[in-house]
Amino acid sequence: MSTLIQTLGNLRGRPGRTILTALGTALGIATIVALLAVVGGVKHSAGDLVNLGPSELGLFQADAADPTTSILSTTLITRLDHTPGIASATPLILLVNGLPKAPGSIVFGAEPHSFVSQGLVYSSGGQYSSGSQIALGDTLAQQLHATAGQTVTIDHRRLQVTGIYHNGIAFQDAGAFIPLSTAQALTGRPGETTSIVVKLDPATKPATAQHTITKRFPGIQIISDAQQATRAGVSGDLISQFGLVIVVLALLLGGIGVANTMLMAVIERRSEFALLSAVGFNGPQIAGRVLVESIVTTILGAGIGLLLGVIGAQLLVDALGAQTFVNPQITAWDLGRGLLVGVLLGALGGLYPAWRAAHVSPARVLAQH
Amino acid sequence: MSGARVVVEHLSRAYGPAVVLDDVSFVVEPGELVALTGPSGSGKTTLLQLIGSLDRPTSGRVLVDEASVGELRHPAEFRRDTVGFVFQLHYLLPALSAQSNVELPLMAAGVSRRERAERAVDLLEKVGLGDRAGARPSELSGGERQRVAIARALAGRPRLILADEPTGALDSVASHRVWELLSDACARSGATVIVASHDATLAEHADRELHIYDGHLAKPSVLVPAETTP
Repeated sequence: MSTLIQTLGNLRGRPGRTILTALGTALGIATIVALLAVVGGVKHSAGDLVNLGPSELGLFQADAADPTTSILSTTLITRLDHTPGIASATPLILLVNGLPKAPGSIVFGAEPHSFVSQGLVYSSGGQYSSGSQIALGDTLAQQLHATAGQTVTIDHRRLQVTGIYHNGIAFQDAGAFIPLSTAQALTGRPGETTSIVVKLDPATKPATAQHTITKRFPGIQIISDAQQATRAGVSGDLISQFGLVIVVLALLLGGIGVANTMLMAVIERRSEFALLSAVGFNGPQIAGRVLVESIVTTILGAGIGLLLGVIGAQLLVDALGAQTFVNPQITAWDLGRGLLVGVLLGALGGLYPAWRAAHVSPARVLAQH
Repeated sequence: MSGARVVVEHLSRAYGPAVVLDDVSFVVEPGELVALTGPSGSGKTTLLQLIGSLDRPTSGRVLVDEASVGELRHPAEFRRDTVGFVFQLHYLLPALSAQSNVELPLMAAGVSRRERAERAVDLLEKVGLGDRAGARPSELSGGERQRVAIARALAGRPRLILADEPTGALDSVASHRVWELLSDACARSGATVIVASHDATLAEHADRELHIYDGHLAKPSVLVPAETTP
């Protein structure tokens, strides 16, 4: 306790250095927290991309970078319809960046009478049916200031808004539905789809159906829940790995920064450590004081960094224009990790300075004065 | 508590080709107050550092109560338990109050917070600074700082006090007060006190004087009582 009080006294005695060190740490931790939050948000969003009911499966091309880049042939539909345990199968195309005024929105291409389209609940207007029609999610409609009867343009094609729906799924409410044929025309891939959504017979267990489909349709990846969707995408893995690289880099750079600052502090205060040694503090005790000081400084920085990270995550999403489909997810574990990184930075960055302080020669230093 | 017996045997210390101490031998009996005099650069500080285990000799040895201090595995613990240092520069930690500075040796020894505070306040009162316990070093005069440093040296109840030019940066009044405190500490606790000073006139306060010149003890075989020194 006394060491901590003395440490705080030392830090107060050098406010400029303390603040700068803490700020350096804060920036590193803010970066980590912001990235973790955005990665978490992206993962969560990826899971929402394919919203599946309890008796539904999503079929994607195996090894696709992410669900939106999967390509499957629609000829599979007929074969799937004849597979035991499957009640119905319908293609679903995912179009990203189709709406210039809402770049984060996803346009879904689905047969108007499929069970996917039939699940939309309209608050105004009604279901789309012909090739030049579109149904907008209410979030997107609000963003575009569009109402039923107006037109919106996708890839230079004018489509009439038939209705505004809301079904509580963020991606779908921030997106739009168009006929499958229109979506195929827009992508230039007639006869192809991004994914196929499968509805199972009530008596069929999803695991059994998955086993059957895997056996009959090699090269297809089956997703039965949002977590699987998150895991399925190579992009998700890349994002996670990118986040990890940034975390490691921030740790390295932050650690070097803390080590440098603490080393300077130790060199400046050599007479202090020499005195401590002269009055009976042993090496580990002196090293401990430096480590405590280093850790307290970085915890202080971590506190600031966590706050900046929470703010920065939203700013980052806004700057990327992804606010419509990425909502930064900051969990207690993320904050805990930020704090843990702060402690680690302090400990790692303080190790060498602590060793130097513990090995200050009192005879040499005190004699120099 | 009795003072430590210090035996210095053929002690030498060289830094490369420069010999700072050359074959110095003497004995200081428990409870003695010895003045180690000599001009600047004569080797007084080096000698005190060797006795206090801050440095290791090139040859010879120092025995403090039979323990060869140059061969100690844990010299910091020896300093903590046996030695109290007073330096010419007070070396008070600027971020700490006078009381916290005095508590430092007790912190090293793991003394409880309460006992530390009691002993520090008591010592500060003894050196006439009872009302300045909360003051930072920057708020104290030079003499006051040195008195805090003496209180710090006494905090661990050492059996050997080594003072290196403790009055070097003080005026005559403050110097006199410092000598009084060291004499008093020696008399009260029975601690052995060795005080290095380039000012030979201050040796009149000591039980005896050892004069060192160019790394040699002037009269190594004769321990001259201070009162007979001219």
